[in-house]
Amino acid sequence: MKKKIVSLIAALSLGALMLSGCGAGKNDDKTFVVGFDAEYPPYGYMDENGEYTGFDLELAEAVCKLEGWTLVKQPLIWDNKDNELNSGSIDCIWNGFTMDGREDDYAWSVPYVDNSQVIVTAADSGIQTFSDLNGKVVGVQAASAALSVLEDPDQQKSLADTFKTLQTFADYNTAFAELQAGSVDAIAMDIGVAQYQLESRGNGEFIILDEHLNAEQYGVGFALNNTELRDTINADLKKLKEDGTFDALAEKYGLSDMTCLE
Amino acid sequence: MSFQVMLTELTTGMLITMSIFVLTLICSMPLGFLVAFGRMAKNSVIRRITQFYISVMRGTPLMLQLMVVYFFPWYLFHIPLGSNWRFPAIILGFSINYAAYFAEIYRSGIEAIPKGQYEAAKLLGYSKSQTFIKIILPQVFKIILPSVTNEIITLVKDTSLAYTLSCLEMFSVAKQIAAAETSMVPFAVAALFYYIFNLLVSFIMNRMEKKMSYY
Repeated sequence: MKKKIVSLIAALSLGALMLSGCGAGKNDDKTFVVGFDAEYPPYGYMDENGEYTGFDLELAEAVCKLEGWTLVKQPLIWDNKDNELNSGSIDCIWNGFTMDGREDDYAWSVPYVDNSQVIVTAADSGIQTFSDLNGKVVGVQAASAALSVLEDPDQQKSLADTFKTLQTFADYNTAFAELQAGSVDAIAMDIGVAQYQLESRGNGEFIILDEHLNAEQYGVGFALNNTELRDTINADLKKLKEDGTFDALAEKYGLSDMTCLE
Repeated sequence: MSFQVMLTELTTGMLITMSIFVLTLICSMPLGFLVAFGRMAKNSVIRRITQFYISVMRGTPLMLQLMVVYFFPWYLFHIPLGSNWRFPAIILGFSINYAAYFAEIYRSGIEAIPKGQYEAAKLLGYSKSQTFIKIILPQVFKIILPSVTNEIITLVKDTSLAYTLSCLEMFSVAKQIAAAETSMVPFAVAALFYYIFNLLVSFIMNRMEKKMSYY
């Protein structure tokens, strides 16, 4: 009886393993597993048809086409990205991934997008400059580049010190809900994300402050010992720039002003 | 995204949610018996070990346990995880956690049976295992059913914790759609899905309770 139960469990778990939508395929040389935050439009998100898409994912797709690989899109919990990369469950982090401040932590591709961190606030909040943020509650995504900028003494820590609180949250939807509800006064985020959010939410309810927190660049992050794969991707990115694919994609996602790939 | 696509996506997520739910029950309910017996063992070493196991499982967050189960092969033994470990790790994490809770529920049921019944069975010539299987266990099932129902309903909602390991169960899907659509509607739909599923679970468990009320 016990043996039967044990073998039943084993068979069922094996079956589940094969059917599972969580196991995303094997890590052999024919697949390229890209880790991304599926809640990060326009770089990686779910489109109208329920497919994962975005500027970065389409770029990765184009690279796979060049190399004859199969692309596996693995959505990540952003807080766990390093564990996933180091333990080999993904090949790289390709998702509006800020290089600045993380230079020594990953093997980086060439930078391809010029980004900056900005502050978004309600249009009627009366906040127009950084000095207006004095005594306000400012939201920022956990483990994000905006957070490290606001915590870095060499960058904007002195500004962050004037806030009433620096509130971290898990995703932008929650942050915007809090902004609308008035429990936070402003949110710090990447400019590309800010533009997508404002466009998608429409009707001029939110504004981006003219002052920027910093200027930084996006790259693809690989595990430190994986420079071989990094070099392949670098070469492919160059090809994609030359044949116009890169610029076409940038235009499609409204990022043309921000690209920096040469 | 049209409402229909959203429903399709959420339903796909719901299938994963349900497979986590079903597999966890299948693994944790028998495992719970094993733990319960360990907890009541005469051997004090076994008893202490299971006691410690239960206290750790109940005393630390499930979210943390899932992360430990998923990442320990890498951090302890440097075995690369690959991408096929994710789902089994989730089932393992949920199962060992729920087994601890089920074990205590089973124990409460078994210890609720008066000693006199064991003595009477012995007098009537029942062996120890006969006593347990034919006399004790049927009563235990009846006693523990309401607590088990409670635990099962909690499990339906706890499956959403699998999002910590980037598993695309329904709640993660709802979050992703909400992010892309910058709307809160997917959450409302997700809530409805959980509620309907739990209605179904309570219905089945109520039927079972009725069937067992034979004396």
